[in-house]
Amino acid sequence: MSDAIRFRRLAAVAACLFLIAAVVSACGGSKSSSSATSSAAGSSSTSSASSTTASGTPKPGGSLTVLELGGYAGAWPTGLDPATNVNGAADQDQMNSIFGQLFQIAEGGKVVPDLAASATPSAGGKTWTITLQPNLKFSDGTTLDGAAVVSNWKRDFASPCTCKPTGLPPIKSITAPTATTVQIAFAGPDGAFQNQLLVANLNWIASPTAIKQMGEQAFKIKPVGAGPFTVDSDTLSNTLVLKKNPSYWQSGRPYLDTLTFKAVADDEAALETLKAGNAQAYDGMATPSLVSQYKASFTTTEQPATSPYDIQLNTAIPPFNNMNARLAIYYATDAALIDQKLFGNQFQVVQGFTAPGGLFYYPNVPGYPTYDLNKAKSLVKQIPGGLTVNFFTLGSPVNQNFMEALQQLWKQAGINTSIHLYSLAGLIQQFVSKKWQAALQTAGAWDPAAGVGLGFRFLSASPFSGVHDPKLDAMILGGQAAVDPTARDKIYQQAAQYIAKNADGPFLFPLASWNVAVHGVQGPGLTTVIPSVVVNTPPQWQSVSFTQ
Amino acid sequence: MSSSTAPLSAPLAARAGWWSRLAGSPTLRFIVRRLLLAIPVLFGVTFLSFVVMNSLPGDAAQELLGAQATPSEIHQLRAQLGLDKPFLTRYWDWLHGVITGHLGHSLSSGQSVGSILVSDLPVTFELVAFAFLFSLALAVPVALACARKPNGVADRLSMMFSMAGLSVAPYVLALVLVYVFAVKLNVLPAIGWVPPGQGLWQNIRHLILPAVSIGLGLLCFYTRLLRADLLEQMQGEDYVVTARAKGVRPWRVLTHHALRNSLFGLITVVALNLGTLLGFTVVIEDIFGIPGIGHELLQAIDNRDVPVIEGIVFVFAVIVVLANLAADVLYSILDPRIRYGRPTE
Repeated sequence: MSDAIRFRRLAAVAACLFLIAAVVSACGGSKSSSSATSSAAGSSSTSSASSTTASGTPKPGGSLTVLELGGYAGAWPTGLDPATNVNGAADQDQMNSIFGQLFQIAEGGKVVPDLAASATPSAGGKTWTITLQPNLKFSDGTTLDGAAVVSNWKRDFASPCTCKPTGLPPIKSITAPTATTVQIAFAGPDGAFQNQLLVANLNWIASPTAIKQMGEQAFKIKPVGAGPFTVDSDTLSNTLVLKKNPSYWQSGRPYLDTLTFKAVADDEAALETLKAGNAQAYDGMATPSLVSQYKASFTTTEQPATSPYDIQLNTAIPPFNNMNARLAIYYATDAALIDQKLFGNQFQVVQGFTAPGGLFYYPNVPGYPTYDLNKAKSLVKQIPGGLTVNFFTLGSPVNQNFMEALQQLWKQAGINTSIHLYSLAGLIQQFVSKKWQAALQTAGAWDPAAGVGLGFRFLSASPFSGVHDPKLDAMILGGQAAVDPTARDKIYQQAAQYIAKNADGPFLFPLASWNVAVHGVQGPGLTTVIPSVVVNTPPQWQSVSFTQ
Repeated sequence: MSSSTAPLSAPLAARAGWWSRLAGSPTLRFIVRRLLLAIPVLFGVTFLSFVVMNSLPGDAAQELLGAQATPSEIHQLRAQLGLDKPFLTRYWDWLHGVITGHLGHSLSSGQSVGSILVSDLPVTFELVAFAFLFSLALAVPVALACARKPNGVADRLSMMFSMAGLSVAPYVLALVLVYVFAVKLNVLPAIGWVPPGQGLWQNIRHLILPAVSIGLGLLCFYTRLLRADLLEQMQGEDYVVTARAKGVRPWRVLTHHALRNSLFGLITVVALNLGTLLGFTVVIEDIFGIPGIGHELLQAIDNRDVPVIEGIVFVFAVIVVLANLAADVLYSILDPRIRYGRPTE
C-alpha cells in the first residue's frame, strides 16, 4: 500500500476522532467544583439584590481559596500595613481578614460593631468616642486597647501615603481617656465619622509592638492584627495564605482553618479556575456578559451598587460654562437606552449621586432634566458655533463601549464628540491641566460623605471637580457635618436638586459587581447581600463557612 | 630572553606553567573577549529601557498615589523617591549601584531588588527549564522519525501538527489547555504554583500547563528545523554515503552521525530563543498566577517601578549574553574542528 494511501486513511481517521472529541466536549456540561465542598442539588444562584440567603448549618474547618482580580483587589504591591497600603480600599478582603474592623457593614446596610462596641458623637459632632470590645488581643498576644488605636491613628494621619484618611475636618486631638475608649476631637462637626471609618484605614488596627519589633518593611509583608486570621505566607500581589487566629475575640469564629487569596488575571480566567475546582470563591466579578455563565454553575450574588456613573462637566471653561450646553448634554443623554443596549437592563438608572445600595438614595430628583432629543437639538442650535466636546475617561473595554454609545446619542442632537481613553496617569494629567471639558466618571459612595464620595467630584476644592459653587460646597459640607440622619437626608436631597437645577452633570446608573461562591459555601456578603462601601463588597470572612 | 632571574621552585614552576597554558588557551581568550564585549551590550539595553520608561506618561509617584492624589502630594512623593532628579542623574545613580552590587529598592514595596530577583528568578528558571525540556525531549525523536522516512506518514502528520502549533499564540494555547485539562478533564490545576519544598509532584503538576503553553511552539519549530537539517545531512554528505557503504544501518547513521552535525543549527536557535522565551513568561506567568520574574516585571511596569524594571532587564540581558556564549562554547566541544583562535583551513 503506497504511503499516500496510508496517509489519507490515517488523516481520515484522525479527522473523525477529532470531530467526535469536539462534539463530546461541546455537549458535556461544565463540572461543578469539587474540592472540600459538599454538593448541593440544583443551582442556587441568586439573581438580584433582593436574593435570599443560602442556608445551611456552618461546618467548622476547611480551606477556602478566594480569587481576587489582579491589578485591583488582587494587587498589594506596597504590602498590607494599613498606614502604607495604597491599595487598601481595594484590598479590603485581605485587610479585614488580618486586622478585623472597628465597625463593619452588614445586611441591610447597617453599621454594626466588630472590634469596637460603639461610636458616640458629642459636642454637636465635633467629638467622637469609640468604645472597644473588652479584653481584645492582637494575634501576637499584646493588648488591643485605646492606646494601640491612638498609636495607629496618629501613624495613619502622619503617613505620606494617600491611603491616609481624607475628607475629615481638621483634627484637634486623638486621645485614649480609658483603656477601652478612644476620643477624637475635630475643629468642626463631622456627623458622618462612623461611616467614614468604614472606608478609611483608621478601621484597621495593627499591633504597635509588632511594628516596632519587626520593622516596617517586614511588617508590611507579614502584618499582625486582631482579625480572624493570621498571615502564614505572603507573596505580594500573588498569593496570601492566612490561618485561623486561635485568639480571635469572637468565640467559635472563624469557621475556616485556612483562607487563601489568589490573584487572577480577569473574570474569564476566574470562571475557568472556579470550574476547575482550584478556588471556591471570587469577590468582585464585574463583567455583565459573564453573569449567566457564572450563575449556571455557582452561587452568584449581585451586590447593591453604590456609585453611579456621571458625566462630569467642567463649568469653569467653554463650552460648559454655558448653561445651554450643559442642559443639551442632559437632554441628549438617554441612560435607560444605554442600560438596555449595553447591559440588558441590569442596572437602575438614577438621577443623583446616590445609588440603590447606598444611603440617602432618591430614585427621582425633582427638576432633573430627563432625556428629550428635541429640546437637546433646540439648545444646540442656540449655541454659537454649535457644540463640540472633548470627552475622556479611564481606559477599559466597558468604558469604551459606554463612551461610544454616548457619542452616538449626542450626535443625534447635533453634538460633535471626540472620545479619549487614558491610563490613570493620563487621566490625572487631564484634570490637573484644568482644560478638560467632559469626563465619564463614577460619583458618590455608600455614604456621600465617605471616601470617594460627593465631595471628590463636586467640591470646589477638589482638583477632580468641574464645579466651583460656594452654595453647593456649603450643602456638601453641611451634609457631612450634620449628626442627625434626617437632617443629612434633607441636605443631600437639596444638593441633588441643586445639581439638577444648575445642570452640573447628568447621572447614569451604577454598575454592580457580583460575589461568587461554589455550592456548599456560604457567608455574609458572599452569598448574601451587603452594600459595598468601596466598589466591591468584602464578605465577612470570619463568618464564611462550608455547609454541613 | 634574559636568564638573569633565579630558577623558580618546582611547585611555583608548575603553577606558572599551568597559568601560562591557561592564559594561552584560545577558548578562554575567546570567552573573556566575549564577556568584555557584553559590557556595552548590557549598558545599551539598560539605557534603552530607562529611556522607554522615562518616556511613558506618568511615573511611580502617580501610580502609587492613585486617582485621589493631589498635584502637591504627587510632587512631594516624587521628591521623596528621587524622581525629580534629571534623567541622566537617575540612570547614573542606578548604574553606580549596579557596579557596587546594589540594584536598589522597589519604589512600591520597598523590598530590595536583589531579594525580589532571588525569590522570583528560580520560579521562572524552573518554568523555562520545563518548557525547554518538553520541547527538546520531543523535538529530537520526532525529527528523527520524520527524517527516517521523509514524506512518510509520521512526517506528514508532524508537519500538520507543527503548522498548527506554530500558528497558535502561547497565550491562546494557554487558555485552551486550561479549558481542556483543568476545567473539562480536571486533571491539572488552572492557576497557581507550589514550591518544590511543599511537594515535588504538586510543583510539577502546576508547571505542566504553563510549560506546555510556552514549549509547544518551540517543539514545532525545533522539529521542523532539525528535520530539515537531518535530511540535508542524509542526502548530501559524503560521510553518510561512506557509512552506508560500510553497511551501517540507516537508523544508526541518523542517530550517530547525522544528528551530531545537525545539532549546530539547533543549538544556535535554542540560544537565540532564550530571550523570546523569557518574554513569553511575562504573559504566561500572569495567566497562570505564577510568582516569577515575568509576573514581577508586569507589575513593575504597571507601577512604573523603575528600579525593579531595570534590575529585571539587566538580569535578562545577562542571561541572554551568557546563553549565546554557552552556545558558542558548545560548538567547539561538539566540533573539534572549531577551536577559537586557531587558524582555519
